[in-house]
Amino acid sequence: MITKKTSITKFQLFFFLIQSQVGIGLLSLPNVVQATAKGDGWISTILAGVIVQFMLIIYWLLFKHFPNDNYTKITIKIFGKYVGKFLNFIIYLYFILTGSLALILYINCINLWLLPLTPMWVLSLFIILSSIYLAHSELTIIARFFVIASFMLVLLILLSFLTYDLEKEFQNILPIGDSGMKNILMGSNKSIISMLGFEGMLLIYPFILNKEKGVLKSASFANLTVTALYTYFLFLCLISFSPNQLKQVREPVLYLFKALSYEMLDRIDLIFIASWIVPMTTSIIAFLFFASKSISKDKSYKKTVLLNAIIIYLISIYPFDESMITKFSTYVTYLSYFVVFILPILLLTLTLFIKTLKRSENA
Amino acid sequence: MKKIFLIYLCVVLIFLSGCWDQSLLVTKTLINGVSFDITEKSELVGAARILNIESKGGGQFELKDEMIETKSKYSSEVGPEINFKMPGKIDVSKAHVILIGEELGKQGIHPFLEIFYRPKDAYVTSRVVMTKGNAAEILSVEPQKSPIAFEILRALKSSESLTNIPKETVFSAWSKIVDSGVDLMLPYVENVGNDRVAIGGVYLFHNDKYTGFSIPKEKSTLLLLLSDGLQKEGLVAVNLKRNRSTAFRVMDEKRKMELVIDKAHRKITCKMNLELDVNLVSYSNNFIEKTNVNKLNKDIATLLTKEAKEITNILLEANCDAFGIGRKLASSHPDIWKKLDWEKDYKNVQFEPKVKVNITKTGTVF
Repeated sequence: MITKKTSITKFQLFFFLIQSQVGIGLLSLPNVVQATAKGDGWISTILAGVIVQFMLIIYWLLFKHFPNDNYTKITIKIFGKYVGKFLNFIIYLYFILTGSLALILYINCINLWLLPLTPMWVLSLFIILSSIYLAHSELTIIARFFVIASFMLVLLILLSFLTYDLEKEFQNILPIGDSGMKNILMGSNKSIISMLGFEGMLLIYPFILNKEKGVLKSASFANLTVTALYTYFLFLCLISFSPNQLKQVREPVLYLFKALSYEMLDRIDLIFIASWIVPMTTSIIAFLFFASKSISKDKSYKKTVLLNAIIIYLISIYPFDESMITKFSTYVTYLSYFVVFILPILLLTLTLFIKTLKRSENA
Repeated sequence: MKKIFLIYLCVVLIFLSGCWDQSLLVTKTLINGVSFDITEKSELVGAARILNIESKGGGQFELKDEMIETKSKYSSEVGPEINFKMPGKIDVSKAHVILIGEELGKQGIHPFLEIFYRPKDAYVTSRVVMTKGNAAEILSVEPQKSPIAFEILRALKSSESLTNIPKETVFSAWSKIVDSGVDLMLPYVENVGNDRVAIGGVYLFHNDKYTGFSIPKEKSTLLLLLSDGLQKEGLVAVNLKRNRSTAFRVMDEKRKMELVIDKAHRKITCKMNLELDVNLVSYSNNFIEKTNVNKLNKDIATLLTKEAKEITNILLEANCDAFGIGRKLASSHPDIWKKLDWEKDYKNVQFEPKVKVNITKTGTVF
């Protein structure tokens, strides 16, 4: 049952989407995009934003036909019980794996920058414990926390103004469009991976209050904010690092803060990453929530959260080396193409097809 | 709910008992200056100035500034070698200056910067400085007041604010070394006797190698102004002809760099127009006359234009693209840039510098 207690407002939806999207991906994004799109990386993120926007419209159109169902119920309605259940399992797998990947990258990053001697399993345990605590409560409570946590993002944007002090080289992005359309699109592909999280709308749509109008507007605003944030940080890195340097740095957004120094204050990167823990954790919480929602019934929800958390935790403490993480993230990427992009489009076309069929039968 | 809370509490308590990543100040040895050299037998000499912190009890600490020298065969060995010789665990997170000897500079400085930008604790805002002659000798100078690393840092900071030398940290030097369109300039210090170390001027680099060409500190301000690098202000003294000399502060600059490309002859001409707003600091002239500002403007401008031409000639000879002509070409004429072999073609660039001076204030007298 969806009651007022378990539903969220459109204002909360805005922050929910932002918090599930923004996370670990941003820190290494400039480096990843640099590999293909080079100086035109900022175009790639904007393009990625446009693609996300397109998908949000698809989702919205889909939910116009099924306002009270979530993603997993729609699949069953369209494909029937068996195929639907199978698809739902893939969807569930996607959320679990994406959550695990985010957690792996997250603890690797913390290990690299902040706590090199602390064992990984301890870091992972702390994160997953706090994630369970929040994820097993109602959606409203999670959404409220996400709204508050968004102040952290504002703080981090303010912190980024400090980097204006560094030498800037605007010529690095010139000439615009030099890398060619193909490379820019490959860059967009990479940026979309770090923007994942917007597909959460597929699961929380039924819980939105007064969804007759304005839902698309809130979601679009969230997308706009995330795209702007990503493009802004990418642009900052492009003009602060020289191109070859950017190729070598693992987390350029953090390294940028490392290059700052003041009389009273040094190593602002450590302050930044300590604060960035919040947006990173909210992503984990979101994915844990999505995974649990995608598979559980209302009654068993709390137990499912616990079970999923254990699965994510176990995956995250497996000693991955770098090449395995790359492989893992490629698999998750392929899975995301299916779950986030192909399946919703397929569902929408089938829905429209069935509707027209019925209409022609009646006529 | 209460039960869950209790379980949480127990779990948290287990982890509160200790911390893996603690590093106590007393077990550390803080490095405040490092130097690298190469001997004739191509052995690497690494030296470090360390601040030894000794607890005297009662919250009191005694600080000792010591010097440690090591010899090693390759660059990655230098760090561990220094660590072995030191009483505590090495901590480079406050290494303010990195001195690199002249001879080592000619072999390439990148491996020694890499030691400082790769590890997580590294301090990428350390100043990178070259030394005339042996770097360890400079580092072993014992000034009266404070440790030598701080003395050098202070000298660097004041010269930087007067636009006398470029502000180059590990981060910015690294950035320029890996960028093919721009070359590095690093300040150098020299021993001037009497336990004193002073700024000498600027060494010109190509990639990560010192070219052997330098610009003395009297002219380095103009070089920095030409590369659009005015800091708070710039202090320049020039000797005009017939017993007239003047010193002035550059308060504002406008630099226009324009590339004119003759495609037929593959000739690149770089037109540089530099406009300086200056305040007079001193002007010794005929003591009866009032300062003729317009004439002085012209005289200084002619002299600086001549000096600028000399500087650009040295840059070409050194094959040091300090102004980033390559980067400008790459961004404005990518088609031409891709055809060029910048290693060779940079030498054929024609510089046409032109300096214009505008005295805005003459001080409290006319």
